[in-house]
Formats: sequence, structure tokens, C-alpha cells
Amino acid sequence: MTASTASPARFRPGSTAKVGLLTVIASEIFFFATALSAYFFLRLEHPEWSLPAQTPTGLLIPSLNTLLLLASALVIRQAQRAIAADRTKMAQMALGLTFVLGLIFIGGQVFDFSQSGLKPDDAAFGGIFMALIAFHAFHVLAGMVYLGITFARALLGDFSANHHTSITLCAWFWYFVVAVWLTLFGALYLV
Amino acid sequence: MTTQAEALSAPQAAAGSGQGLLSWVMTVDHKRIGIMYLITATAFFVAGGILALLMRTQLAQPNATVLSNAAYNEIFTMHGTTMIFLAIMPLGAGFGNYFVPLMIGARDMAFPKLNALSYWLYLFGGLFLFSSFVFGGAPDAGWFAYAPLTEKLYSINHGMDYWGLSVLMLGTATTIGSINFVVTTIQMRAPGMSFTRMPMFVWMTFVTSVIAIFALPSLTTATLLLLLDRLVGTHFYNVSAGGSALLWQHLFWFFGHPEVYIMILPAMGLISEVIPVFSRKPLFGFMTVVYSGIAIGILGFTVWAHHMFATGMAIGALLFFSANSFIIGVPTGVKIFSWLATMWGGKLSFKTPLLFAIGFVALFTIGGLDGVHMAVLPVDWQITDTYYVVSHIHYVLFGGAIFGLFSAMFYWFPKMSGRQLSETLGKWQFWLMFAGMNLTFFPMHMLGLLGMPRRIYTYADGLGWGIWNLIETVGAYLVALGILFFLINFFRTMASPPTNEADPWDAFTLEWKASSPPAPYNFAEIPSVRSRRPLWDEKYPDKADWKQGE
Repeated sequence: MTASTASPARFRPGSTAKVGLLTVIASEIFFFATALSAYFFLRLEHPEWSLPAQTPTGLLIPSLNTLLLLASALVIRQAQRAIAADRTKMAQMALGLTFVLGLIFIGGQVFDFSQSGLKPDDAAFGGIFMALIAFHAFHVLAGMVYLGITFARALLGDFSANHHTSITLCAWFWYFVVAVWLTLFGALYLV
Repeated sequence: MTTQAEALSAPQAAAGSGQGLLSWVMTVDHKRIGIMYLITATAFFVAGGILALLMRTQLAQPNATVLSNAAYNEIFTMHGTTMIFLAIMPLGAGFGNYFVPLMIGARDMAFPKLNALSYWLYLFGGLFLFSSFVFGGAPDAGWFAYAPLTEKLYSINHGMDYWGLSVLMLGTATTIGSINFVVTTIQMRAPGMSFTRMPMFVWMTFVTSVIAIFALPSLTTATLLLLLDRLVGTHFYNVSAGGSALLWQHLFWFFGHPEVYIMILPAMGLISEVIPVFSRKPLFGFMTVVYSGIAIGILGFTVWAHHMFATGMAIGALLFFSANSFIIGVPTGVKIFSWLATMWGGKLSFKTPLLFAIGFVALFTIGGLDGVHMAVLPVDWQITDTYYVVSHIHYVLFGGAIFGLFSAMFYWFPKMSGRQLSETLGKWQFWLMFAGMNLTFFPMHMLGLLGMPRRIYTYADGLGWGIWNLIETVGAYLVALGILFFLINFFRTMASPPTNEADPWDAFTLEWKASSPPAPYNFAEIPSVRSRRPLWDEKYPDKADWKQGE
């Protein structure tokens, strides 16, 4: 259908990378969906779990962390807008700021868990709770690696209004990481 | 177009056409990676077959002592894991790597380096799994690794750790490979190669890849939780500490049932290429076969708990999964009728590829009907965990997938090597495998109905099981003889000088337009496509498909 037009669908590296990343994200969504299913499966078998999860800090740090990630999504959106308008300085700053916000988020998670008293081996609850948080944290770290590389490339002047697929892809992955956190926040702390 | 060809062929030629070991290690050429997949997977297939022969030797007589109970547990676990993850899936991936770009008129996969990465992850995942035999004991809890048998308490050596880690590696390899196939199929098709004109093998590889992308994460989750249980001390599958053994079964079979279609759909695609060429007709009901493949892919995600009918599920769940298991038989049946209708009235040429394809249709139909039996709840409760189930899976995966893969091996060997495998040896191989496979797996129906459980390392005299087991063992050695004929055929053919015939079967699809073996850049000029049989159109312009209207 698409390829029968005059300009073939081949030799378009930008869109090939986009289709590739979307496929990766689709697979990752299923990873978190199955992990969350495991959580709800165990939770249904154990009505005695005290829910939503209690940590000494209560909802304070998880809520602050949620706001932080939402803010980071807006910031990286700014990076996309800025580079599309060829404002490279602004794009660099936005990418760097997103990275810093991710770093603070990780710090918050580590602090919250050092306070929580949950251990992976006390019962199934502690295990599944920490596993979900950890699976997500690894994706935040992966996103930060991606951000770091993109930020460095932005500093080296790799991107312009016509050439910034990497920033778009990096932003998409970051939105995915934020969306997963919102889902986890709802499932683990709110319902 | 020509300038693009020159621009692209130069770096690819540098990366993929040298000689010597290093040029293979460094290659990112989809054809070389495909060949490495095929050779590695064939080696693992032979290793898994030797494990099967060991089991059959032990079971040939009652009270035999060839293998200890512990060794038997390790061997059936490794046999299943090897055949599924290291043989059948990568054989499909090997053909996919080699032929998907050629069949859609492309020069390579969308991500050649990722392609190499998925091969090397696969190879080292497999070697890592087999190294467990040497270092501390192989896994011994069966290929579906039911909890709590896999927990540290019951499986104390490191076998299950090897299993978990290598499954993670192999799953990553498959996911990367599948992403590559999906993007390649969407992005790299030649001008005019619309989705409705795409060869059936490409279609089925595409559907398989989509299934893999959505099914494998569940295995990843299940295995990560298992490894955390074993290595960190969590209790996901430990009932006494608030975990659930059934959680493993749900997570595993949510992957495991789609996995069956990951293994069979590429083979269905393969014989959908072979049957038309050797019947001299286009595939009957092309889009119906495509839609039934997509239907199988979707329905495959709604039947997983039929592996768990005996676990005491709620009646509503039982009925839901039973009904879906009947329904999934329908699109499968549609495909079988399409193949029969393609052969009907065709000028059949009974070469080895067609023999294996017909073998697939016959044996897969038996296996498929067994599957429908097991959708009936009381029947399933009766035969759960007996040899009946073992018979079913082998009719589907050996009679189905492996016969389909051998059909493709004989069909595409001239393209990959420039040489044709011996027809005489090929026919001997087919009949040995066909007879041997039925002798091995058909009596398992009887043993299942007689109540012989699977996975027991020996059995007592006087149960009436001895004679069937002996017949099965004879059959297994006949199959092995057939495989030996294939290996002899392979080495003899490779020692002979190549003929480099581009199109020995007078075939229909683009891979036969390239030289045999194809140049590193596949096509000097990207072909353009006007029908489902572009090469037929080119060879017979008077009878071109696009002139008949599609």
C-alpha cells in the first residue's frame, strides 16, 4: 500500500528509527503489564495486605517524585520545541535539566526505600513492591543514559531544526518512563 | 537508483564479503547472519536429538538402568529447552534473516548491527545453558519450569540459575530479532511490494515477530521473579511466604502458548512458499491465509490457561479458555484447506521440498486434532501429564515445524549455497523421518490413554507399556538415521562444485531473481513489483499475474 507510491518507503533512516523505538516501547509496555498483573494476582490472593502501601514518609516522597517526573516531561517537550525552532542553546539546557530531574527522582526513590523498612525477602509483598519499583528505576536509568548521550551530542552541535530525530526518540522514551511511573504510582500508592 | 546501489554496495561489500573466520565474526550481512543462525541451530537440534535418543534408550525396556533418575530429569529438561529455544525458533529466525530482505527486494535488514547482536546473544545464551552440564549440573525442572520445583528448596544445584539466565539472554535475542523483522517489513519493501503482495513467508514472519514482541515480556517477568526468588531470597512463588506457585504458570503460559505459534507460523509460511511452486499454481485464498495467520496470532493470547485445566480454576475461566481453544482450531483448519486447494488440480512435482511440505500438512493435522481433543475439559483432565500430551506437542512441533523447516532447507539450499542437495538422499531422509516419527509419536497416544505419565525415568514390568515403548525407541532411531542422511547429504553437497543456478525450481518470488548465492548487496537494482509473483511476471510476461488482475 505505502510502497506503491512514487517515493518508496525505503532509505528513510529517520522513520525507521521511529518505528523501531515504538516497537521497543510496545514490548516494554507488555513487560510492565505482566509485572503489574503479577502484583494484582498476588494482591487478590492476600486481602490481608495493608494497602495502599505505607512508608514512614507516607505519600510525601512518592508524590513529590511524581510531580518531578511530570515536570521533566514538560521540560523535554521544551527541548523538542526549541530544536524544531533551531534554538539550540535552549534545547541543550532543557535536555540537561531533564537529566538532572531524573537524577533527583532516583535519589528520592533510594531515600524513600532506605526509610521504608521493606525487605525483598520478608514476604511476597515486599518483593513484588520493590521489584516493580526497581524495574521502573532501571528504565529511568536507561533513559538517563539515553539523555546523557543526546545531551552530549547537543553540546557538540549535532542537532538542528532539520536534523533532530535523536531528540525526538529520546523524548518518546522519556514519556514512556513517566507514563509507567504514573501507572505504578496509581497502582501501588493510591488504589 | 543505480547511484544508490553503488553508494550502498561499497560499504556492505567491505563488511560482508571477505573470507576467513574474522569476516564471519564481524559480519552484519543478513545472509551470513542467517547462515550462522541455521548452522548453530542445526547443531543444537542434533544435540537435542541425542538427548532424546538417550531418553528413548532408557525407556525402551521396563526397569532399565541406562540413565539415573537425576540424569533423566536433566536430560528431558535440556531436550525441551534446547529444541524450543535453541533449535526451532532460531531455525525460523535463520531463514527469516536470510530470506525476508531478499523476498521483499531489500538490501539488508533495517538494523544490521542489531541483527548481529541478536545472533551472538543467541549463541552465547545457548552455550551458557549447555555449559551447566560441566559446571555444577544442568537444569532439571522441565522446560516449563514449574514452581515450586524450581525454588531453591527443591532444586538446590545451579541448574535453574543457568536456565533462568540463558532464557533471559535468548528472550532478549528473540525480542531484538523480532523488532528488526517488524521494522524491516514495514520500512524496507521494494516499490510496489504492498502488504497484500508480500510473500506468505514474510507475512508469517511478521506476524510471528509481533507475537514475540508481546509474548516474550511475560517470560522475562516470570524468569526475573524466579531468579530473584533463587538469588535474592524473595518469595514470589513460595506459597508459605505469601507467594503463589500458580503465578508462575499464568506468567509462563501467557508466553508459552503464543510461543507455540511463534514456532509454527514461520513453518506455515515456509510451506506456503513451497506448495505453490511445486504445484505450479498461486497459493489458494492468499488473503484468507493471511487473515487466518493474524487471527491465530490474536487468539493465541487468549488460550494460555488451557495448559492449566487441572489446577482447579473457576468454572467460568475453564469454559472461557476451553471455548477459545476450540475457536483457534478454525483459522488453523482454514490454512490446511488452502494448502490442499493449492495442490488440487496442480501439476505436482514430488521433489523433496514438496514431500516435506505434504508431510507437514498430514502430521500437523493429526497434531492439531489432538489439540482439539484436549480443549474438551473432561478429556483434558483424563490425559493431563500423560504421554498423550507428549504425542500432541511432537506431532505439532516435529511433524509440523521441523518438517516445514526441512522443506525450506531443501527448497532454499540452492539459493544459499549455489548447490542442490541430493534428491535421492533427501527422499530417503523424508521417508525415514516420516516412518520414524509416526512410530515414535503415534503409540504415545495409546500410552497416554493407558495412563503412562510423562517425565518418569522408568516403569515397572507388566503394565502393558513395554511393547509401545520399544516401538517408539525403534522409531526414534529411524528418525536419527534420517537426520544422519541429511548431514551426509549436506557435507557431500558442499564438497561438490557449485552450479550457481539462480532459479532451479522455476519459482515465483524475488529471492530467486538474485544470483545463487546472492551478492552482498542482493540486487544491483531494486526490483519493482506489480503482483504477488514478481519473478513469474518477469519470466512469463504474456501470462503475468498483474495482467490477469488481482
